[in-house]
Amino acid sequence: MTSKTGDHESPHASATLTADTKPRAQRVPPPETPEAIQARFRVIAAFWAVIIFLGFPIWWKTTSIYRAHLPIQDMADWADGKTCRPVFPLEIHVAAPTMQLPESQHLVRTTQHALDDLNEFAAHHLRLKLTNDTEASTAPSGDDNATAGITADDGPDTALTVRVVPQEGLATPRSELRADTTQLDIFYPPSQAPVPSSSNPPLSVFIAEELQRLYSEEKATIAHILSGGTAGRDSETISRRLRRSMKYADTYHLSFSLFTPGSAPSSWHIEAAVQEYLSPLLHAFAPISNFTIDTQVQLYARFSPMTPAPVYDEAESAWTLKKEDLSAFINAAEWPLNPSIGSGPTLNFILYVPDPSQSPMIVKENRASSWIVPQWGGVFLLNPPLAQASKGGQTNPAHITQESLRPAFMTFSHQLLTLLGTPTTPASLPLRLQSLIRVRAATLLLSASSTMGSLARLTESLPSIPIPATVASSVSTTLSHLSSTCSHLRGGRFGAALASARIAESEAERSFFEKSMVGQVYFPDEHKVAVYLPLLGPIGVPLLVSLMKELKRLVAGWKARRRSTA
Amino acid sequence: MSLFLRLLQALSLLFLVGAATAEHTSNWAVLVSTSRFWFNYRHLANVLSLYRTVKRLGIPDSQIILMLPDDMACNPRNAFPGTVYSNADRAVDLYGDNIEVDYRGYEVTVENFIRLLTDRLDEDVPRSKRLGSDAGSNVLVYMTGHGGDQFLKFQDAEEIGAWDLADAFGQMWEKKRYHELLFMIDTCQANTMYTHFYSPNIVATGSSELDQSSYSHHADNDVGVAVIDRWTYYVLEFLETQVTSANSKLTLGDLFDSYDMSKIHSQPGVRWDLFPGGEQEGRLRTVVDFFGNVQNVEIENANATDPGSLKEDLAEIARLVEKWRKRDEEYSSILGNSSQSQSQGAQSPTVHLPSKKPVGATKMAEDGSWGKRLVGLSVVGACTAVWVAGSILGRSA
Repeated sequence: MTSKTGDHESPHASATLTADTKPRAQRVPPPETPEAIQARFRVIAAFWAVIIFLGFPIWWKTTSIYRAHLPIQDMADWADGKTCRPVFPLEIHVAAPTMQLPESQHLVRTTQHALDDLNEFAAHHLRLKLTNDTEASTAPSGDDNATAGITADDGPDTALTVRVVPQEGLATPRSELRADTTQLDIFYPPSQAPVPSSSNPPLSVFIAEELQRLYSEEKATIAHILSGGTAGRDSETISRRLRRSMKYADTYHLSFSLFTPGSAPSSWHIEAAVQEYLSPLLHAFAPISNFTIDTQVQLYARFSPMTPAPVYDEAESAWTLKKEDLSAFINAAEWPLNPSIGSGPTLNFILYVPDPSQSPMIVKENRASSWIVPQWGGVFLLNPPLAQASKGGQTNPAHITQESLRPAFMTFSHQLLTLLGTPTTPASLPLRLQSLIRVRAATLLLSASSTMGSLARLTESLPSIPIPATVASSVSTTLSHLSSTCSHLRGGRFGAALASARIAESEAERSFFEKSMVGQVYFPDEHKVAVYLPLLGPIGVPLLVSLMKELKRLVAGWKARRRSTA
Repeated sequence: MSLFLRLLQALSLLFLVGAATAEHTSNWAVLVSTSRFWFNYRHLANVLSLYRTVKRLGIPDSQIILMLPDDMACNPRNAFPGTVYSNADRAVDLYGDNIEVDYRGYEVTVENFIRLLTDRLDEDVPRSKRLGSDAGSNVLVYMTGHGGDQFLKFQDAEEIGAWDLADAFGQMWEKKRYHELLFMIDTCQANTMYTHFYSPNIVATGSSELDQSSYSHHADNDVGVAVIDRWTYYVLEFLETQVTSANSKLTLGDLFDSYDMSKIHSQPGVRWDLFPGGEQEGRLRTVVDFFGNVQNVEIENANATDPGSLKEDLAEIARLVEKWRKRDEEYSSILGNSSQSQSQGAQSPTVHLPSKKPVGATKMAEDGSWGKRLVGLSVVGACTAVWVAGSILGRSA
């Protein structure tokens, strides 16, 4: 080595040095001192110690994905419906104040038999119970009953109270549903009073048929939901109604907007109108959903250029809109109708006051002034009486009073009922709301269960997705609330069942839509090699070679020592 | 044998019922351009043309998610400021005065795109930036940009792999976020992007095969760059000239048959196997099933009297209102004289809607600021101590 560099640097000195080169090349380098060997060993060991005790844990820690443990099997069982078969036992109180106890007991027993014979859908059945406390049975009114389920923990909710009363001058029994309470009055001719001996008295059959008719829509709806939307009678109408209604949400935003193409009306008595016409309904809905209300007035709101203009109809003496053009009525691009408030869906209710030159405006086909846009909201055309303007033309009034808002808000209330999926029968609002509670409980139970199943499958199919601890706790909350929903349903406490189903649903959604669960970078293995090799190659090769050398030396030393001892 | 036949019959009946209810209730469109910079003008023009078409066929802005990584209309190199054209004749200004871009500029990232599809977004994200589709929604996903074998580049900085896209659609299916999905992609080697899809009810189509480039159609000499890609151009030509109204009966089969390799200069691909019923069934879906919007407005008949009709509901609601007013009066009479004057008023509200409190500014993350300061202080102190100790020891050595 040195001779070669010597050649280059000083060619004159080469002659003097050639004599030395040969013996030097054969000369062995001086043996390393034990201290140097020791130091080298220590250096290599230090490098490896850093790699093993610092580098490796850090690499492991920073590249591993935290996956909390989830009860996969339980979740899948819920989704498959193995854990819970939802049942809907409705408790119906029968009060027969004028009858003797054995007679009324017999009536209840035979009616129950007749009911059981009529019922085709086992999950939804009516249980009759005799109450003699007539005072109490008349007392509970509609919305009390709707909210009662939340507070009553022990007994099942009373779905309906049937009062059986004799009435003179009747040929056949007759029923009357009190529209504002949950009470069904049955009047029967005294001659048809049930006799304990008869096994199938006509009065029992009549009551059973009445009850069956009352709950037929609810039964069909629940059957439709539980079967996953394929089976059940009236499947088409029910699925149409379900399609029209909003997806369940814990909170709905109601947005009331006044749109007008001109400058008037520029104010409306909205606060009082909401308070007066809408809040009773919202209060009745309290156990099902929460609501927030926003209102706005938008002046100079034009139709979009694509919308066909209304046509004047001589026969109706009104401006008419064609039914097929109604879907283009809302100028989605320019009317500020998509407020981004909170997390819940928004239901839009639009009060449109047409320009005086186009007033009154109606729908051509049936002279209606309102329509529902499925899953979105409703529109109402308000044609206020026109005032004479000073310049001779006609103008809209500048202010819309509470009284003239009444028809609009009544219609909005109806649209709200429809959009929230309230069943159309029976003809009593408290009963319909109760029915909605059961339908919603069934929907939420199924949707939360299926979300659990989705999450379970997702966890198994995507090993690269992280699962934070909050998801695990949400899942356990969901599962516990699902089972309490199930037991509440079995006990007939539908209000309580809905309350826990709401929690289960929101927790299930939260766990599925957890923000940090985005497995966005899938690396194929060749990519991993490409990432690690440039980094680990230059460092890894010297380290590995030195480790091997050192090991070889140790093994050689160990062998030499053994030979020397042998 | 006859039993078997009957079983078959029953099964086919069931299937028919299923098919009859298989109807979508809403339409969503996700239109994504993934490239930046002026020379990629055509990618934004592609997306804006599609945007214009779906809007023309009835999908409202609130159900279109438009992702534009750059703003060509306001680019200083644009000779026609404020406009974007997809054709050298410059007949239609795609930018117009009525356009809603939901994700713009550096918001267009792989992460945001996947979060959008899976809805794993913060609670504060406005609804206009969310894909609010559900089990009844038909979703159109159109992507364009620069891609390669099983990846699509986003903004020169990152890329989305075919695996990630497949997993995102898989999660959408798991959470019932679409009913049927039409995936369209115009990029080089586009057909490789949908090879990994595994969730059902997806029809996928792309502009070019593996190892094939996807070409631009023509350039506008005044704009100075290519203004549209070939495949998108011919898809649009079909949509604009043949699907003229939202009631068009043309099918996806017609659309895919219109592909002409001699014009497109690459081999477009279609994937049917994920669709129930395969190609046969999928070809029957109409184009407006994905590009249009269903909205079956329901007029309320003011004269009908069947249950659940307007009239009956109005009567019930009126009764409810009446009852509440009565309860109000009773309640205030119970309260006695003190509130007598109040009950006289026409509106004595007992149902208090929660009044809104004006939201003021709050300090974020107030908790633990002192703890953090303490930690910082001790770290600085420890470092100083080590330095001092080192310098002292060094001097003594």
